[in-house]
Parts: sequence; structure tokens; C-alpha cells
Amino acid sequence: MSAQAEPSLAPSPTVPRAAPRPAATAATGHKVITKADAIVLVKDLKKTFAPDVRAVDGISFYVKRGEVFGFLGPNGAGKSTTIKIITTLLQKTSGTVFVDGLDLEEDPAKIREIIGYAAQDVGVDDDLTGRENLRLQARFYHISRVESEPRVELIIKTVGLEDAADRRAGTYSGGMRRRLDLAMALISKPKLLFLDEPTTGLDPQNRISVWNYIKSLNEQGMTIFLTTQYMEEADRLCDRLCIIDQGRIVAQGTPASLKAEIGADVIQIAIKSDGTRNARDVAREALRRLPGVQEVQNYDAGVAVYAKNGPSLVPQMVRMLDDVQVHIAQLTLSAPSLDDVFLKHTGHQMRTEEVKPASRMIWGRRRRPMP
Amino acid sequence: MSVSNYVSEVNGIFGRWIKKTLRRPQFLFFSLVQPVVWFVLFTAAFSKIADIPGFGQAAGTTSYVAFFSAAVIIQTVISSAMQSGIGMVTDLESGYMDKMRVAPIHRSAILLGKVLSDGFRIVIQTVVILLLGLLLGVTIATGILGLVLLLAIVLTFGIAWSGISTFIGLATKNSEATLMISILTTFPLLFLSTAVMPKFLLQDWVQTVATYNPMSYIADGLHGLIITGFDWTTLGYAALTILVVGAVSLTATTSMFRRRVSG
Repeated sequence: MSAQAEPSLAPSPTVPRAAPRPAATAATGHKVITKADAIVLVKDLKKTFAPDVRAVDGISFYVKRGEVFGFLGPNGAGKSTTIKIITTLLQKTSGTVFVDGLDLEEDPAKIREIIGYAAQDVGVDDDLTGRENLRLQARFYHISRVESEPRVELIIKTVGLEDAADRRAGTYSGGMRRRLDLAMALISKPKLLFLDEPTTGLDPQNRISVWNYIKSLNEQGMTIFLTTQYMEEADRLCDRLCIIDQGRIVAQGTPASLKAEIGADVIQIAIKSDGTRNARDVAREALRRLPGVQEVQNYDAGVAVYAKNGPSLVPQMVRMLDDVQVHIAQLTLSAPSLDDVFLKHTGHQMRTEEVKPASRMIWGRRRRPMP
Repeated sequence: MSVSNYVSEVNGIFGRWIKKTLRRPQFLFFSLVQPVVWFVLFTAAFSKIADIPGFGQAAGTTSYVAFFSAAVIIQTVISSAMQSGIGMVTDLESGYMDKMRVAPIHRSAILLGKVLSDGFRIVIQTVVILLLGLLLGVTIATGILGLVLLLAIVLTFGIAWSGISTFIGLATKNSEATLMISILTTFPLLFLSTAVMPKFLLQDWVQTVATYNPMSYIADGLHGLIITGFDWTTLGYAALTILVVGAVSLTATTSMFRRRVSG
């Protein structure tokens, strides 16, 4: 057994930057949001892939002008599919989508003019240099040469590709390709920028520099819609977020309000399976009887206990589980994090999977994960 | 949609493909070395064919090199056209297609710019082959007008044929399959046509195939322009062949492209 002594063991009020916001308004969503408030307004969106895969299963949400909005969820939750629909890349099955007051169905061309999109798979041309990639992109947005040249220069500097600008993108490292891709999405100075897993596959240092850049873009007034499978990323960047799992939105609000909803410490107890009886259920029944415990929930590896005064309860919990002969594999106590929010709403832990670079197969179609 | 925007989009995509071609040294190497190999090897092996009684009369020349130059051109056109689908597959796989689709460009510009670049590349390759032929003593009997007509045939046929490859590329989304199908179709079509031999020298069943093989009509058109002179009937058949192949391949490609880009 290992009780992880996190710095957050004492239920300190871990205050993220969005804390001062009144939690209730954003979390409840009772306020009627109109096309004028929202730069993206989605109602009951569904996407079914043949034969019967519901990638997006009736979701409704909005993105306010000027905010950083996030979709948090595991691989295959429907994040990319939703973004692809809103960016006009994929047809929806049903539902309505408005972008900046424009109906997706009627004005896809106008929507394309005001959005930027950096996909999870970097879309740069390896045979062109960084500068040529940017120039061509500027041409796609009908920016005149006179106007585009200084803009290209500036953006090369901003993303730190000065030394590599005249080298072919095929020679770039993963991080450089990502930065070029982001630069390409920004060349048109979009009102609304979509970033599909902007930091997946990046090392921690590059990740932080991307975060800082996203923040600075947002401070300049750009609305940002990002998807991520990293809790920390969602927590640090997003003003508001939706937690999405299996094509459905399971919770939405500010990171602070979502965590506040839990209203207790979370003690995750992973249980060693003894093969004979359902240790998890035994543990849950036992822990429920403990005074001070608000709720006990099963999850894939064990049970999650929600309690106000977590630290003081841990010794009793351990003793109690010992009494009923349940063996603890791991015990973690924390102030509520977005992990716990996800766990609470879905009953399973969010696994973060690294997306491996697609290998080139000699024969057969390359397998892609469900978008 | 403004016309100048559209022209600029097509131009940008056209330029992109030309740059990509120039920066793939292996492609340039093969597209230039292959015709040389063909010219040298095949004419060395088969030059005695021209001595067969009746060849001179049927072919209009006693030089097998002159006769064979049409085959080299057609071979180059087809194999070059067949590569074009691979570019589409790469774009679909790399995510670059999505980059273009999310931009406010007219989606047909993506296809048009690509197809025009294929045609342009094929014309350049043909000019190189003709210069090579000139070194081997092959001149164009019909002069400048003939040359222009020849290049027009090559350009339009190349575009029509690259439509087939683009269709296969879009349909299979697999560059290996696209390449395989191209190799498997190029050689039989070429050798079962009148490009390599005058018709009377072909076996009976090959004669039958050659009659229905579109390559034969292109070959006859080129033979005429290079060897004998303007024969408007043959040229008419060549034009008709291009129209039919082009109509079918470009219609199929356009509809497959729409399917792929509409999401």
C-alpha cells in the first residue's frame, strides 16, 4: 500500500485562475444564450458513422466570444468529430450549428473565411519550405502579396522559425512542424481558432510554450476552441469547458465550478483483485458505513470515496478495508481535480493515450482511430 | 466567388505541384532516364522489325526509331499521368487536404490546379523525348503546326489519363494500390496497341484488342504527325478517344472528389 503524499494532501483551496468567476451562472447554463453572445452555438448535434457508431450523440453547447473554450475527453470521445463538423470538414447527421451567427448549413463558405484550424494531424506540405507553406496559405485566404509578406515574416518570428523558414518542412522536428501548422492556421488572423489536441505528442517544454502562445493569442482577442485529453491543460487554459465521453457531454462549466461541484476531497482506492469475490463491492459497502463519507463510487480499478475531511478519514478507511479483507493496491487523496470530475460523471478514469505517429504500411489501409 | 480569386487559387495549387515535382529528384530522374532507356534498349532490340516486308508501307517509314518514338511518348504520358493519383492520396493522408478544405477556396480549384500541373509536367517530358528523338534522327514530318498538335494531344490525353489515376487514388486512399494498378495497366495497354508494331504484324487476337484499345488511336495520331503528315481522319479518332476517356475519367474523378471533400 502506498498512500501518496501529494502536496495537495491538506485540502488547500487549490485556486485556479478562473476561480473568482461566479460558478453558478456558467455551470447551470439556464441563461438563454443567443447567437449574439455565442460565437459558436451548437444544438443537439449528432453524427453517426455507418453502420451504427454514434460518434457524437446529441450534444448542445456554446462558445462565448473572446474565451478559451475546451473539450476535454479521452480518445474516441467525439472531440475531433465535433470540431470537424463545425469547421465544415464533416457533414453532421442532425442538429444545428451556428458560427458567428452563420448557419453551418447555409454559409459554410463564409464560416471558412473567419476560422482557423490546426488539426491533430499536422497538415503541412513537406516539400515546401516553411515560408512557402505560409505564403500559399495566405493566398488561400486571398490576402494580397503586399499585405501577406510582412504578415508571413512576423508570424515566422512569432512562432520562432526564423532559422528554418527557408528549409523544407520535411526536415523539421515534430515541434517545429506543429508550430508551422499553427502559424498556417493563424495567417488569416481568424476570429475563431480551432486547435485539435494542440499539445499531444509534444514534450513538456514545448507544451508550455504552446500554452503561453495560446494565452497570448486569446489576450489579443481571439476566441479559441481547443480539444485536449490532458486535465492540466484544460485546467490551465480554459475559461469554460465541456467534459465529453462516448459522444455525450457529461459536464460543462468553468474548471473551478466543475471542481466545486464535487465539494469534497476525493480518495481513490485501487483494489487488488483476489479473484474470488467482488472486492470492489465489499469495499464500497464497508466504506459507505463510515461516518463522514458522502459517497462511494465504483470505477474500473477500485472505488472513489468523496468526503469533506478526507485526511482524517484515511486511517479509518484503511483499517476498515483490512477488517473486510480487501487489499489496497494504491490510495490517493486529493482536493478535487478535473480527473475526479471526469471519474464522478463517467464512472471510469480518463486514460491519456499518447498518439503515436502513424506508421507507413506497405500494404493495406492505414488504420486510423475513430475521429 | 470572384474570378481573380479563383485564378489565384488554381495558380497557387498548380505552382505547389510543380514545386513538389521539381523537388523530388527521384521523380525527375525516372521521368527523364526512362525514355532514354526505352529509346536505346528497345530500338536496339527491335530495329530489324523495320526490315520485315510490308513494314515500310504500313508504318510510312523504314526507321523503327521514328515509329517507336510514339510508343515512348505514350508510355511516358501514361506512367506520368498514373503518378498523379499518388499526390492526392498523400494529401488525404497528411492532413493537407483538410487544410485546403477548411480554407475559403473553391474546392474545384484543388482538383483543377492539380490536373493542370499534371498536364504541364507531361508536356515538358514530351518535349524532352522529342529532343532526344532529334538526336537519334527523328524529325516531325508535319513541322511546327504538327508539333503544336502533338503537344495538344499529349496534354489533353495526359489530363484525361491522370483523371483515372486520381480516381483510383481517391477511391482507394492507398498510394501503393494506386501505383500497382498503374503499372499493371500501362504495359498491357501499350503492348496490345499499335504503338509498338504496325497492326498487320500483330497476332490475330492482339489485333482485335488493339482495335478497341484507346492507346492505338493515340498512337496512330502521333505516328501520323511524326512520320507521314496530317491525316485528319486519324487525328479525328485520336481527338474522339481523348474526349471519351476524358469525359469518363474526369466525371468519375470529380464525383469521387466531391464525395471525399464533402465529408
